[in-house]
Amino acid sequence: MPPDTSAIDAALLDRLGADALLKTLAPHGVWFDEAPAGAIKFVIVSLVDAVDVDQHGGHAYEDLLYAVEYRELKQAEAQSKARQAAQRIRELLDDQPLTVTGYTWMATYRERPERHTEVDDLDASIKWNRRGGQYRVQMAVGT
Amino acid sequence: MAIKTGRYGKVSYDPTGAGGVTLVQIISLNAWKLSVKTDKEDVTCYGDTNKVYVPGMKDIAGSVSGFWNSNETTLFEAADAPTPGMLELMPNDTENTFKWSGLAYIDADIDSSLSAPKVSGTFAAAGPWTGPVGP
Repeated sequence: MPPDTSAIDAALLDRLGADALLKTLAPHGVWFDEAPAGAIKFVIVSLVDAVDVDQHGGHAYEDLLYAVEYRELKQAEAQSKARQAAQRIRELLDDQPLTVTGYTWMATYRERPERHTEVDDLDASIKWNRRGGQYRVQMAVGT
Repeated sequence: MAIKTGRYGKVSYDPTGAGGVTLVQIISLNAWKLSVKTDKEDVTCYGDTNKVYVPGMKDIAGSVSGFWNSNETTLFEAADAPTPGMLELMPNDTENTFKWSGLAYIDADIDSSLSAPKVSGTFAAAGPWTGPVGP
């Protein structure tokens, strides 16, 4: 039975979600693709690109690129946690092994940092800080 | 018979040179090439309307390549071996009677950068080779 690629997604979410410091910076959780309504300080993990690299007889390894971003609603009275959160994400992922059933970890590293301010299309007074990076995860198929 | 994918290709090697049941697949490879070329001697003469050749000796050589896997050092052991081993090349292991095999000397390379390290090898015949026979 082939290993489950979604288990790599889950391992990434678990790694980030289990960290106490990141929980204080992003109290509304770590989510894949979208956060629940009402969340204003959270981390979003999205799959940007994925390639199966083959060898004779099957897959050699899976090469996945994730966007991992801390997002917070910009509030004039509140001090932004974006810098700290992005740094904590980096500490948790950059060159840190991931354990996933059916795979052997090859590499996890930040490929490029990301930093944006997103202005709401309908209400320009609503702004979001977005900071993190694109992280490459490579997992060899098999153990 | 039909056109088959190369996904299920297979490269096997036996360092003793015996072949057959002692062949073992070299894992983590994803490509091989075989070249079967016969030397051609130019025997063009006065009056010929085009160049004319006569065949000489057939040469057999090729290459294999794939990923470095610390569980698989066969290529490098073969490169160090003083005697040739039996090499078997199969385009698709669902048609395992269609293959090329023979004694071969092997050279090996590894290309290690920031991405997954790649290995490759070249080979040259060290004895008679056999190939697939059509229907």
